[in-house]
Amino acid sequence: MKKLKGFAGKILHIDLNNLTHHILPTEDYYEWGGGHGFGAKLFWDLCEDIEAVTDGRDPRNVITIAGSPFSGTNVPSAGGRCEVTNMSVGLIPRNRFTRSNFGGHFSSMMKHAGWDAVTVTGKAPYPVYIDVRNDHVMIREASHLWGKDTHETQQIIQEDVASVEVTSGWSGQLDGNSFGRTTQKASVLTVGQAGENQSALGCLIHGAGNAAGQGGSGAVFGSKNLKAISFIGTGAVEIADPEALIKARFITRDFYAADVDKSAAFAYPSLGGKPEAVTFSTMPTGHRVSSCHGCVNGCKQRNAIGYGNEVTCQTSLWYLGAVRSYKFGGDAKLSLSNRGLELTEDSLYAGDLANKLGINTYPIMGLIPWLQKMHAKGELGSGKEIHSELPYELLGTREFAEQFCQAIATGTDIGAHFIDGIVPGIESLGHGADVDNGTLHYPYYGMPEHGYDPRAELEWGYATLMTDRDMNDHGLNWIYWTVNLAKLEGINFPIPAETLVTRFVEKMAPYVQPNEVSAMDYASHNMYSEVLARQVQWINHYGRFWKNSALMCDFRWPDCVNTHREDLRGATGNDEVGEQVWWNAVTGEGISYVDGIERGRRIFNLDNAIWVLQGRHRDDAKFADYIYDQKMTHNKLPTYLWPATNEAGEWDYREMLGRQHSREGVEEWKSHYYRAEGWDIATGWPTRSLLEGMGMKDVADRLEQVGKLGSET
Amino acid sequence: MTTNKNSSEMDTGRRHFLAAIGGAGMLIGLSGTAYALRDEKIYIKTSGGALVVDLKKCMGCGTCMTTCSLAHHGKASVSLSRIQITQDVFKSFPQDIEMSTCLQCEDAPCVAACPVNANKASEDFGFVRDIDPAKCIGCMQCIEACPQTPKRVQWNPITRSAQKCDLCLNTPYMEEQGGIGGVQACKKVCPVGAIGFITELPEQNLPQSYVVNLRNENWAKTGKTIED
Repeated sequence: MKKLKGFAGKILHIDLNNLTHHILPTEDYYEWGGGHGFGAKLFWDLCEDIEAVTDGRDPRNVITIAGSPFSGTNVPSAGGRCEVTNMSVGLIPRNRFTRSNFGGHFSSMMKHAGWDAVTVTGKAPYPVYIDVRNDHVMIREASHLWGKDTHETQQIIQEDVASVEVTSGWSGQLDGNSFGRTTQKASVLTVGQAGENQSALGCLIHGAGNAAGQGGSGAVFGSKNLKAISFIGTGAVEIADPEALIKARFITRDFYAADVDKSAAFAYPSLGGKPEAVTFSTMPTGHRVSSCHGCVNGCKQRNAIGYGNEVTCQTSLWYLGAVRSYKFGGDAKLSLSNRGLELTEDSLYAGDLANKLGINTYPIMGLIPWLQKMHAKGELGSGKEIHSELPYELLGTREFAEQFCQAIATGTDIGAHFIDGIVPGIESLGHGADVDNGTLHYPYYGMPEHGYDPRAELEWGYATLMTDRDMNDHGLNWIYWTVNLAKLEGINFPIPAETLVTRFVEKMAPYVQPNEVSAMDYASHNMYSEVLARQVQWINHYGRFWKNSALMCDFRWPDCVNTHREDLRGATGNDEVGEQVWWNAVTGEGISYVDGIERGRRIFNLDNAIWVLQGRHRDDAKFADYIYDQKMTHNKLPTYLWPATNEAGEWDYREMLGRQHSREGVEEWKSHYYRAEGWDIATGWPTRSLLEGMGMKDVADRLEQVGKLGSET
Repeated sequence: MTTNKNSSEMDTGRRHFLAAIGGAGMLIGLSGTAYALRDEKIYIKTSGGALVVDLKKCMGCGTCMTTCSLAHHGKASVSLSRIQITQDVFKSFPQDIEMSTCLQCEDAPCVAACPVNANKASEDFGFVRDIDPAKCIGCMQCIEACPQTPKRVQWNPITRSAQKCDLCLNTPYMEEQGGIGGVQACKKVCPVGAIGFITELPEQNLPQSYVVNLRNENWAKTGKTIED
């Protein structure tokens, strides 16, 4: 393969067993694209015994933090994303190779330091952190950082890294035989106390609030005695066609992105979304919208109130229901019917606590209403059936949030039950039935619901069953937010349902034809259709390359619908500013939009091979019982409208509340999906011909050794 | 700073303003850029433009920086950018972000410091203070002379020369014409319009005079302050 631009050329392998580092040539990994592709192939290559590693805290686990050719560039909403891959902690029925991701400026700084990814194996004999200054790599003792929160840790490292000031405002860093200069702070990824204590709820934090947590990557750092990774770089990313890159970015700015100087009118929130903080209660006006490197319009915020910086999206709402419950009564279940300013500051404060301690807020959000209920029933508290000294009568206050987060992060008091995850903890307390009956919303693999019930938002549930974690792909999900928030606010959603779904399916090459609008029909009569399997295939394969590997932001890509375009057609796949335009301008490679999706198919199939080696079988792919046994009656918004047809075939935004899945239906859908992928329908295992057709004979050989190749018939 | 009162025949500048920048020792090779006058001081004309910034509007994406380095050098870099956005994510708004652009100073100490006239203000380009990398001898005196923090003149370790904002005069990788009257890459690419371009230089003795309010009512509708 020819040398490509955009890549730094080096992958950093840290061996903590021996406290050494090695350089892996990126060229050997080009075909995997970057990000997740790198992580999957590195896991395949470096994990000593994939089948035997059953918990992410095993020293043999391989954790990779990877950028892409876009990292450190101005490719819109792609320059600062970063992928994390590792064996998971705390999932059921078994752990598996999984992923998470985060934004900010870490991957851009890693690239400017001359590295495409860092992959870590082994376990250090004592706490360490990795300090990379251009090509100079140090594995440093971290006892002075152990026990510090994520913000303090970053600040201590940043101060140390910037200690050589060469002239006012510029620090000096060795750069080969030269001396590079920068005004920037080091970019640091670290764990807080939750990760140090190897909690399944521990996550990685970069900046004030960029987090990667689903799958327990914080626990993985802690288990390796790894406190943090820091990069500072003074170099550059080589670009194949800089003129084309600048031109495409200008076109994006002028014709596809929101321009809030000109209008604050409704904008569909993919590439054309407005620069607004994605928080779930009203923000005080004293804030700025902040963003990751290279973003076309940011979604985070920094505040004048002195806390809550980058407490965004999920982190801004984990305690929102509790705050509302304490102030206004009612239970602590999340509801966005009241999003008043009076809820904001305490919610941001609680988000800050979680970010500083490095706690994944998805699982604890689901836990809070259950704790409240158990306390109200007299089964939780001092000397009760479930003993805890936390002040549950103050649930919803800052005081409770502080004590609760501390307990979770340190594994003390109530937190002692949840070190291995919420569902295992609930089961060990003898309340597993509350997971089965939906009192706790953990619909798949012991993971908390991401906010989108599989009974309503079909693609979210199905794609999750076919992958490793709650899929966390908002490509279609913005429909939910825009349509249902408009309904809540009494606004007529401006795009007719049939027009909207048409724009989506036009982009679903090569799996859905432009006229197959039923791929977006979420009506009950279409829930288990074959075309819905191909729609999910597109999500999985598009996502594995363009989002998880090329690292285009999940919030901004794909751009299927763009309200700044007269015909509402978004940038995705087009010849002007589509995904491949950026890839080709940066790397010089010359691929098509569909070529990228095909690469995603290959990466996804390597993932599946790893999962199969780890014990995966078709029988694992199922929802929690309540998804089948009960109707969906509650949503955080009053409605769950989604495009659907009625029996006459007429499109509209129709209510999804009130329905449930059937086990037979989901199994039927799974069979459609396995056929579409070419997997053995009985087991979900890949076949030799499938793998060899994608150039993965070695993978097929390995699966055959352990008797896990799918049947060709 | 001294205003030249005897130069009206030479001064075609908009503000009829010339700035004194130093002693007579700077007279070597000053063609078209500065003028030796009878009081033995050297004067350069006011730049025809400069960048201004809105510190409350910037979202810290750094797109301006990588686009600047792309336009000038063909590669994506923060260190090679002539506009520097620095941020401390742990500080409160609005102290969390600084935007550092070249002020195109009227008295331009960086121009005065250059011993070989590589750092100059050419009449052909609207008197933008600019550094010719072919002439620069890498002495770094211009960097040291810049009174701002961070220094607005950067060291380019690849070419081993100094560089500074030229308002995109020399941008071989940008299709559009740059410079005064043309496109400034950072301004054009900024997603939120946090960078502006002015042709009337502000009061030079006020450090904050290049910080402006570029937010309008539409910005307020997205829930953010438009107050100064």
